[in-house]
Amino acid sequence: MAQLSTSEYGSDSGGRVKGITIVKPVVYGNIARYFGKKREEDGHTHHWTLYVKPYRNEDMSAYVKKIQFKLHESYNNAIRAVTKPPFEITETGWGEFEVIIKIFFVDPNERPVTLYHFLKLFQTETNLMLGKKTLVSEHYDEMIFQDPTLMMQQLLVNTRPLTLGPYKHETDFNDLADKTVGTLQSARKKIRFEIQELNERLKQSKEVIANFKEEIKKLEEQDIQKEKDVVPHVADT
Amino acid sequence: MSDVKDILEWDIDGTSKAPTKEQETVSVVSKEEIIAGSEKRPKPKKSNEAIFKRPEGMHREVYALLYSDKKDPPPLIPTDTQQGYKRMKAKLGRCCVRPWKWMPFTNPARKDGAIFYHWRRAAEEGKDYPFAKFNKTIQVPKYTDQEYQLHLHDEKWSRSATDHLFELCERFDARWIVIEDRFDHLSHGKRSVEDIKDRYYTIVNKLSKVRSDPNLSNRAQQMYDAEHERKRKAQLNRLFNRTTEQVEEEEMLIQELKRIEFRKKEREKKAQDLQKLITAADNSSDLRRTERKITKKKLPITLSRKKDQDGNMKQIPETGGIKFPDMKQSGVYLRSQKMKLPSSVGQKKTKAIEHLLDELGIPIQPMPTDEICQLYNDLRSDMVLLYELKLAHANCEFEMQTLRHRFDALAPGKLPSTSILTPASLASLAKPSDKVEDKSESATPPEAPSSPSKVKKITEIIDVVATTPQSPAITVTPQRKRRQAAVEQANLMKKIKK
Repeated sequence: MAQLSTSEYGSDSGGRVKGITIVKPVVYGNIARYFGKKREEDGHTHHWTLYVKPYRNEDMSAYVKKIQFKLHESYNNAIRAVTKPPFEITETGWGEFEVIIKIFFVDPNERPVTLYHFLKLFQTETNLMLGKKTLVSEHYDEMIFQDPTLMMQQLLVNTRPLTLGPYKHETDFNDLADKTVGTLQSARKKIRFEIQELNERLKQSKEVIANFKEEIKKLEEQDIQKEKDVVPHVADT
Repeated sequence: MSDVKDILEWDIDGTSKAPTKEQETVSVVSKEEIIAGSEKRPKPKKSNEAIFKRPEGMHREVYALLYSDKKDPPPLIPTDTQQGYKRMKAKLGRCCVRPWKWMPFTNPARKDGAIFYHWRRAAEEGKDYPFAKFNKTIQVPKYTDQEYQLHLHDEKWSRSATDHLFELCERFDARWIVIEDRFDHLSHGKRSVEDIKDRYYTIVNKLSKVRSDPNLSNRAQQMYDAEHERKRKAQLNRLFNRTTEQVEEEEMLIQELKRIEFRKKEREKKAQDLQKLITAADNSSDLRRTERKITKKKLPITLSRKKDQDGNMKQIPETGGIKFPDMKQSGVYLRSQKMKLPSSVGQKKTKAIEHLLDELGIPIQPMPTDEICQLYNDLRSDMVLLYELKLAHANCEFEMQTLRHRFDALAPGKLPSTSILTPASLASLAKPSDKVEDKSESATPPEAPSSPSKVKKITEIIDVVATTPQSPAITVTPQRKRRQAAVEQANLMKKIKK
């Protein structure tokens, strides 16, 4: 279908549609599981899956041509591309590293988008205490298509759901968003209050400084006057 | 040695064919041999060529570089149009020698018609004496007895002195220094150049006013301010007679003055910045709120337009804080990119922001939804504003300290009488502990759920500069220094004002 539409719209993909913004949220990250022991033959300790998923239940392959994962150099073919869902890589390993994820779009006029993810393997102490077996490290981000091409717009709008069943993420992002908004708002109130207060104090000290200066000026003038009075007197004696 | 010979193209056997001078001096060779050598030369060349056949594997270009000089064909077109050394003759001057002649001459500037002799070009015989034109004469006006009695009388100048002066003027064509020198100081009193000039010019001006003589009245009024001249000369004299120490002191004072002025300017600038900051802090709160309301509608085009309009209508002065770039170009980008701090935010500020975020329990990369993104950016912008305010405040306190010292230096012991100064803020300045208490009482905003101690912290967290005196032990020396500086400056100002 993708190929078809490319030829349909020509090389400029029908030109950009001004004033349209389409937002596609994505979730990316990894899950990891400890073997329980170090593997003899290669020293690997964990089993992990790296993934990029749409936040909403939809088939990303409609507008994503491929997703490229750049793993650590010690893996064979460290750069791996996935062209259809699920966009994920499953591997084993013993160390954490940063993965560079590049998302290429069906329309070659749209530049690829790059995500960075630090592949996590090791549980935090608290999670270990809780006895969690699977580690989840995932993030939310939004791809914003500003003035997409006509072809891209069509592809972005007409997507099919990925599954007919329920679609869920490991992390409850709705909840996270609400919480974040809450903390941010309260933090902002605090900062704002501080600003106002400091501002008042600043105004006050400004006044004080002005008064001080005035006083000093007066004193200085007095001093000079005094000296002028004194000097001829000295000259007489 | 054989290498050298080889280079110089001598025969290696020593049977000498090279025609160079060195050969003559180094080894014993007869002249005939040298002359013969030049004719024999072609032969060894040929043999050399045979020897220097290109070795195998040597690149043609390298070979050509090594051994191509003599093989080049001679140039076909002559490059030198000059005939060579023979024709080169030095050409000095353009024509034949002009003779000089010892001849008599009269100087037209002289009235006695004396004849002198000098050397002159023969061709110029009979021409005028060329230096006569430098004998400029001026017309010194003459006055009659009547004119003198009517207009020119002066207490300080007798008639005879004036006559004497005019006579000298006539004689020396108003060359004042000479006139002053020749003036008969014994019989007419001591006169300076200024006195003489003053008298002369007043008379000339008066005469031109009184008379209808075109010669005089056509001339522009001669302005002469004797008093000014006298002062000018005295000043120059004094300037000239300064001692080295005086010169040095003056330079020092000038430098100091410059420094003080510079500091003053800086202070003024700071005060302006401060004012800006305060207005920014005043404005930003209501401004941002309206902005956020609009953003929530999620209408990108109208939003940006509205923003512009708002900005133009309200005429907001530069708000402190961060200016996040507007992502307006088309294409795909990630929302998280919007939260990147622009590079204009310095490292110190970035650090302060991170520190604050950490303290408030906010992740450095929060979940980038539209709302959070906006909130997060606004929050950090406010943080920077707070940081700047804090910085300004620290500066203010520092300034206040210096002012206090100056005050103390000027009027020792009078400092406590601060009825003119705003009591509350000054008290808070004097005792930092009071300030904190005071603050924690009033600081708790009704909505803020956290404890007052936490609120207090936020500003305390920001470590601006170590200027604010926290413990007396640390600040003893700087305070003393400051006091000294203040006293010094006061003294200096006095000196300058004198």
